[in-house]
Amino acid sequence: AYPSQLGLQDASSPIMEELMNFHDHTLMIVFLISSLVLYIITLMLTTKLTHTSTMDAQEVETIWTILPAVILILIALPSLRILYMMDEINNPALTVKTMGHQWYWSYEYTDYEDLCFDSYMVPTSDLKPGELRLLEVDNRVVLPMELPIRMLISSEDVLHSWAVPSLGLKTDAIPGRLNQATISSNRPGLFYGQCSEICGSNHSFMPIVLEMVPLKNFEDWSLSMI
Amino acid sequence: MQWSSKKKPPLSSDSFHCSVWAVLTWSVVKSEDYALPSYVDRRDYPLPDVAHVKQLSASQKALKEKEKADWSSLSRDEKVQLYRIQFNESFAEMNRSTNEWKTVVGLAMFFIGFTALVLIWEKHYVYGPIPHTFDHDWVAMQTKRLLDMKANPIQGFSAKWDYDKNEWKK
Repeated sequence: AYPSQLGLQDASSPIMEELMNFHDHTLMIVFLISSLVLYIITLMLTTKLTHTSTMDAQEVETIWTILPAVILILIALPSLRILYMMDEINNPALTVKTMGHQWYWSYEYTDYEDLCFDSYMVPTSDLKPGELRLLEVDNRVVLPMELPIRMLISSEDVLHSWAVPSLGLKTDAIPGRLNQATISSNRPGLFYGQCSEICGSNHSFMPIVLEMVPLKNFEDWSLSMI
Repeated sequence: MQWSSKKKPPLSSDSFHCSVWAVLTWSVVKSEDYALPSYVDRRDYPLPDVAHVKQLSASQKALKEKEKADWSSLSRDEKVQLYRIQFNESFAEMNRSTNEWKTVVGLAMFFIGFTALVLIWEKHYVYGPIPHTFDHDWVAMQTKRLLDMKANPIQGFSAKWDYDKNEWKK
């Protein structure tokens, strides 16, 4: 996120690009409908004409029944397309597990060795110069870029939600349930997210930071963390 | 059964009583005002059910008699007087705009202004200081860091920075 941001963050994954385009399409439809309705309301409020007898208007009634159905189909088809796209089989190179706690995330990289660590928010008083308030964490989730990664998301206590907007990710962390998401980042960098399901007093203070790096850097990092 | 020989109630042209005829008897029951035909000044009901003036004065009665003759003999003032017997407001009068909107807008702005005063008081007396991350220097360091990590480089933040010239794009 950046100051004075108005819209969605730039996409860092192909799914997020699809979601951005879908959002543009749907928002345009919504704006068109809203402005039409607003215009009609102003027409209604600024006329001196009256008509007090019963009215019969079969043709326009048919149109404004069929047309919304058509519009809804025009929204539903791209939406379902993206939904199925997110569920495609993609052969992840790595599986990482994240467990939500009150009030931090813990990550487990157990494909090869046992690498587990907790990720707490850095308090405002402990921020290094130039860091982002309420968004930085002590241990970032380092992942290799340009590879599909399976995220298994669950919770140790109450409901949380693991969200990283620029990758188009938001998956609920539900105790007793394993949810799966697929990450794949187009570019390196830091990607921030925040817990997205109310989970108690520090719900706003358990962020997520992904550090997408080249595979070599990821290998070096994971070696250093064991 | 015999028909009652009570007189029928009078039906005058300037008052109309709804009558309830009991079986085989004549009787009149008073109706409430709202159930009787009434006068309205409405743009979409141009000819009200009753005249505006119900009880005519002597001069008005005389005028009504004169109305029964040739209308070209009526003066302009007499025609207006006849109009005013029949109608309360003219169309121009009933459709006139008011200054109500000025009151509404004025009150709305007043209360918004009052709310602003409340907010100023609140900021001064209730709220504590804002976090140090809003300091000018910190924001500068933050901005530099965001640009270094190329946050949102496609259309968002870093896309507006010229990395060659080291300045914001014009």
